[in-house]
Amino acid sequence: MQSETLTNHYEETKSFGLRDIVWAAFVIIGSLLAWDQYGHNMDVYEDAILGAVAIGLIWLGRFWPSFQPVTVMVTLLSVLAIYTYASHGNVISANEQAFFLKYLISSQSAIMWMNALFILAMVTYFLALYQRSEFTGKVATSMVWSAAVFGLVGMMVRWRESYIINVEYGHIPVSSLYEVFILFVVLTALIYLYYEQKYKTKTLGGFVMLVISAAVGFILWYTFDREAHVIQPLVPALKSWWMKIHVPANFIGYGTFSIAAMVGLAYLITAKVKEKNPNSGFVKRMPSLELMDDLMYKNIALGFAFFTIATVLGAMWAAEAWGGYWSWDPKETWALIVWLNYAAWLHIRMSKGWRGKPMAWWALIGLLVTTFAFLGVNMFLSGLHSYGEL
Amino acid sequence: MTQETVHTATPRKQRVLLDFLGSMNLAVTLLVMLSIASVIGTVLQQNQATQDYIIKFGPFWAEVFNSLGLFHVYGAAWFVLVLVFLLLSTSVCVTRNTPGFIKDMKQFSEKLSLKALQHQPQHTEFSSNADLQTEQARVVKTLQTQGYKTKVHAHDDGSVTVAGLKGRWNRLGYFFTHISIVVICIGALLDSNLLLKYRELTGNLIPETRTISLKEVPQTAWLGPENMSFRGSVNVPEGQKTDVLFLPYEDGYLVQKLPFMVEVKDFRIEYYDTGMPKNYESDLVLTSPELDEPIVKTIAVNHPLYYKNYAIYQSSFGDGGSLLNLKVHPLLSPVENPITLNTAVNKIEPLKTPIGKFNAEFNDFRLFNMVPTTEEEKAQTGKKFHNNGPSIIFKVRNEQGKAWEYENYMSPSFQENRWFYMTGVRTINSEPFRYLFIPADAKRQKTRFFKFLALINNPVENTRVFKEAFPQSEQTDDKTYALQIRLMQQLMTLFRAKGFDGISEFINNNVPEEERQKVGDYYFGQTSFALQSLFLDILKQEGVQPASDADVSDFDKQWFEDALTAINTIPHYGPPMYFELESFKHIQSTGLQITKSPGKDVVYFGSAMLIIGVFFLFYVRQKRIWVNLRQAENSGDQADEAGTDITVAGKDNKPLPETETEFERLVHLLRTPNH
Repeated sequence: MQSETLTNHYEETKSFGLRDIVWAAFVIIGSLLAWDQYGHNMDVYEDAILGAVAIGLIWLGRFWPSFQPVTVMVTLLSVLAIYTYASHGNVISANEQAFFLKYLISSQSAIMWMNALFILAMVTYFLALYQRSEFTGKVATSMVWSAAVFGLVGMMVRWRESYIINVEYGHIPVSSLYEVFILFVVLTALIYLYYEQKYKTKTLGGFVMLVISAAVGFILWYTFDREAHVIQPLVPALKSWWMKIHVPANFIGYGTFSIAAMVGLAYLITAKVKEKNPNSGFVKRMPSLELMDDLMYKNIALGFAFFTIATVLGAMWAAEAWGGYWSWDPKETWALIVWLNYAAWLHIRMSKGWRGKPMAWWALIGLLVTTFAFLGVNMFLSGLHSYGEL
Repeated sequence: MTQETVHTATPRKQRVLLDFLGSMNLAVTLLVMLSIASVIGTVLQQNQATQDYIIKFGPFWAEVFNSLGLFHVYGAAWFVLVLVFLLLSTSVCVTRNTPGFIKDMKQFSEKLSLKALQHQPQHTEFSSNADLQTEQARVVKTLQTQGYKTKVHAHDDGSVTVAGLKGRWNRLGYFFTHISIVVICIGALLDSNLLLKYRELTGNLIPETRTISLKEVPQTAWLGPENMSFRGSVNVPEGQKTDVLFLPYEDGYLVQKLPFMVEVKDFRIEYYDTGMPKNYESDLVLTSPELDEPIVKTIAVNHPLYYKNYAIYQSSFGDGGSLLNLKVHPLLSPVENPITLNTAVNKIEPLKTPIGKFNAEFNDFRLFNMVPTTEEEKAQTGKKFHNNGPSIIFKVRNEQGKAWEYENYMSPSFQENRWFYMTGVRTINSEPFRYLFIPADAKRQKTRFFKFLALINNPVENTRVFKEAFPQSEQTDDKTYALQIRLMQQLMTLFRAKGFDGISEFINNNVPEEERQKVGDYYFGQTSFALQSLFLDILKQEGVQPASDADVSDFDKQWFEDALTAINTIPHYGPPMYFELESFKHIQSTGLQITKSPGKDVVYFGSAMLIIGVFFLFYVRQKRIWVNLRQAENSGDQADEAGTDITVAGKDNKPLPETETEFERLVHLLRTPNH
């Protein structure tokens, strides 16, 4: 058995296979069609971003083949939604008339499906952990996949809807707190799925879904209590292609930091149970402490890298929009604090060689810092970044 | 900042210091300090006026916080000191680790003995039937196809070690990340106001704190174009030009002279249907003695103008001194005699009135006031917002310095099926405006309202009207009649001074409790009779002659009620004056931000280095592999079959769970011929 898996490992080919060619063709044709359809709204930077996204998708699909069907599904459903809107005369009220839009893939419906699926996935993951059922675990995983697809469809369709409501309002849905929360849950789920697949860690699913469900709870409150889902026009400062790269890069950081914190939580619980009863079934079902420790590191490293990029991009954008790359604006400052926090975490781990419990605690506390940077700043502090006030 | 220390022959004391500076503990302490300082800077609002802090924290704590520099954290000496130490610590760390790391990047450690190899984290041994040379060639080839750089060393005992090294860039990642921090700090330093601080300390720079005209700003608050870096802003009205900039500095500001002139030809702003600004832009003409042709460019948010090492940004907009033609209506005057006032936004007008001297400070003019529509209106017009029209924001300040802030609309707005002129007042900045609704007459004007008001205010006219409306009957003697008329007049005086509350107050103060109910009913009856008579007189003046109350139209009845509501609140309106905006000429100003930032490119360079470094550091793993090959010690009888004993050892500078599997995989490849 051991040798079998090993051989599989050796056989992995790095050459460009048929599937890769089909994939690349799909991405290229899709991008070209999108460009043909909407290119007149794009400036040269946005053309470049589209090109880079296409290349990135081709690479991502090769690196992580499971992302291919997700992309295909999202494309098909989004195109179906856009087509349905178009066949209803491109009016926003179509989302209450057309069946598909009303119940499935208008941005609001898709996002609601996503919300429901994420919460169900959390319950199912914990059920699987309790039942020791592999099947239940698989069901949970497929729920997360579906939720991610719905979330992405929701964002794509919302993007189109913003133009349908009023061409002047049109913008990529990463501009308000509501929109970035959706981005956050989708990215977190996808990154988690990657690690789950790679390290076979379904038992961690419930823990990661905890933070996602909390975010979903926020989205629901924000939707029903504050009507934050209503598409608003952009303030002039946000009208820039920088937003398309700055925000997603930031949220890869936030997502991975959250996963790291939840893995840290799982680590601490497992370590505690193990201390009391090393042979407990729970400990056996959970991934090894070493693996969890490593997952924390991998997530924080990935997040740190992207957070660095996002902060630098943010500084460059600030230089263009506000006239200075650094203004000690509360959001900027808190980004720096988050960055310093994880920089210290990485230093301690890499050069002092700390492992295990203290690092897990630190990752968990790191989430508090991150959450404050993400939410608290909007709630309690005012500044230039006041785009999503609570 | 790593464990690996390189021993050099520096004198002891110096080494202790360097060890301290380069220590991980110091580095992490500094990072934590920087974080905490940053937190303080965001929680405590920075760079506010000293009085605001005193109000917030009290004089004692405001003083303590101030001396700790907590109100200007990011410019405080101790904060800069932390940064400097971080810079030193990082530099020491880099210098100390450089020789070792360079060596580590270059060396293959091919000379390690077999014993040393067997002590590596991963190692395994096997034998092959092929001879040494064949195996050696195969090992070299396999390692190279796996991305290793190789080096072969023939040991004295005839054995051979093939050493492989992969992912050397990981070490570069260390240099890049750490040097980038130094680079970024240097860039930031270039853009900091350290030189200004120095000039302030030596006394030839004193920031200005007063709001005075440019000519009055003393030379000690001026900076010449030689100033290396700055970031400031200036408001320029349309059609005007500037060659100065205001730099916020501590509690005040400095005036920066620019080596060029910026003229604002035009300013435009577009709005969404929500009334939110959609885009704003300025047409600029930049002239400089160094330029043959002036630069003409339109700047907008996110689209600045770059000129040499200066950048000009569209940062805000405001009123550039719109011309306002006002009529000031005295609210207590017995005759209608509004004063005409031609002024402009940002001007202060002194007003002499019978009730004292006032200053009217005109702060802002708004061309649009978009408000969300009501459900009904939405159903009618389909619009989510409607425009309430132009408004002025101004303050009226009395001689004691107390100010009332007003927001007056030029056009009437439609509320509950009637048209009203709205005027808001407040005395505290943070409070919302409380509105007075002046009912519009049939022609949608305020004419009737001011007429009515003047009539109420005029005792002589009052008497005439009351006498006409309430002729002396034969039963009443002269004295009683005169008393009755006087009572009505007094009630009017009370009403216009303090509203209906004034009448209640009067009753409470002067009438014994048991009679209050009765007297109150009578007084209020008289009051309303008096007011109605006055109103009927107004109607008469307008040419309407209602035979009885029932003949008064519904519109006029409603108007009368609304007018009384408005007059009733005038006593809470502040100084009794109403500023009517008759006409205006809108002049906008553009808020420009101009920077000179020599450190920007340095910071960007450092940032790029940082990103590249982070990826090298995390995603390039430095891996070493050693393959020791030696002639198998045969049992002797098969001398021609020269087998080879092989020891494979590996080391990953960042051991991960996959390290083991990868090593096994490599060993598998090395064991499998013909791969």
